[in-house]
Amino acid sequence: MLSLNLKRALLESRLPVPPTFLLPWAASLTTVSHTTGAGNVPPPLLNTVQQVSAEEQAAGSVTRKAQTPKPKRVDPTTTLARSATVAGTERPTTPSTLFSSPVAPLSESVRDLLPLLQAQGSHYITAHIHDRPYLITQGDTVRLPFFMKDAEPGDVLRLNKATNIGSRDYTLKASAPAPKLKSATTTTRMVLDPTTGSLESHSRVMPATSLDSNTAGASAAMAVAPHFIPHIAKGKVSYLDERLFVCRAVVMGMESEPMRMKEKTKRRNRKIKTVRSKHRYTVLKIKEVRIRGVEEIEGGGELA
Amino acid sequence: MATPTTNYFRITLLRSAIGLPKRTSGVLAALGLHKRLRTVYHPVTQTVAGQVFAVKELVDVQEVDRALSKQEMKGLRQPEKGYFVETKAGAVGRENA
Repeated sequence: MLSLNLKRALLESRLPVPPTFLLPWAASLTTVSHTTGAGNVPPPLLNTVQQVSAEEQAAGSVTRKAQTPKPKRVDPTTTLARSATVAGTERPTTPSTLFSSPVAPLSESVRDLLPLLQAQGSHYITAHIHDRPYLITQGDTVRLPFFMKDAEPGDVLRLNKATNIGSRDYTLKASAPAPKLKSATTTTRMVLDPTTGSLESHSRVMPATSLDSNTAGASAAMAVAPHFIPHIAKGKVSYLDERLFVCRAVVMGMESEPMRMKEKTKRRNRKIKTVRSKHRYTVLKIKEVRIRGVEEIEGGGELA
Repeated sequence: MATPTTNYFRITLLRSAIGLPKRTSGVLAALGLHKRLRTVYHPVTQTVAGQVFAVKELVDVQEVDRALSKQEMKGLRQPEKGYFVETKAGAVGRENA
């Protein structure tokens, strides 16, 4: 239909959207840490990024380290009782290769424990499609709560966003997401303005952001954002390194619900409008959930 | 480095103008802010600065050097897909699994 083609054209025309981390207020909102060295950022945005860096560090939001610890927690029921938290490294996955940092190597602890996880028989994975988690294992049939328009029956999908991979005794978890910044306006307090003699005047006082004072307890538990952060910044999940696993699913087909009729009318009005709904849902079958070996990951091969 | 060359105000409406004089909602309409939490970009000029000052209690303002379009802002709101089509059905050279 014409409207659908227009929408597609519009969406495709937004391809030159810069990566999220380059935009001023959204720079701290990425799920993956990036390094923005002087060589990585294009000149027009360089100043903006630096301005945000100063704000970021002051506001105590996520820091741009190249490597963020990714704890690999051992299940308490294991008899091996290896309670050491494992720190993994995240490879920065940027939409534009121009700004990507070099591939970070795996940490020692991931290198030690990943073979143990891999050696165990069956694995499960919490894969995220459109940021919604699905706890799946090989052989599962998943009916998604939406219809996937870009996948036809028989297509093989590669699911690359996951937060947990586990087996009976081990769990590989993604690192904790960036701390949620509190919006400055939610903590606004009304105070009486002491400079005027009258008790009737008020002034709105914003809480002292870390820009003014670096007192640890001033901003309470959560750092206050220097500016309003729109809702897209909230509830962000951090994902596992894509290199660590392979998860494939086949599109089996499409299901649809029985036809639903909704009658819309008002009181004392004889006209009844009927709205029909018949939603469609894509069905996937998980064909592979596999953890890659350390050699395979560090070899850098993108096969299988 | 030198201070960034800021060109635009990034204005977000945080408080509604319901119950306020019509002049205030008129200013918001002139800025293009018709609903709460909407964001608009306006170049940094005296006119716009005056408009912002008229509704300063309702609004969050930030100076940026790049104005995002509606499509770009929508693109930022969308979550990551989490999948990609590896092989199409019936494609040549499809791996046998």
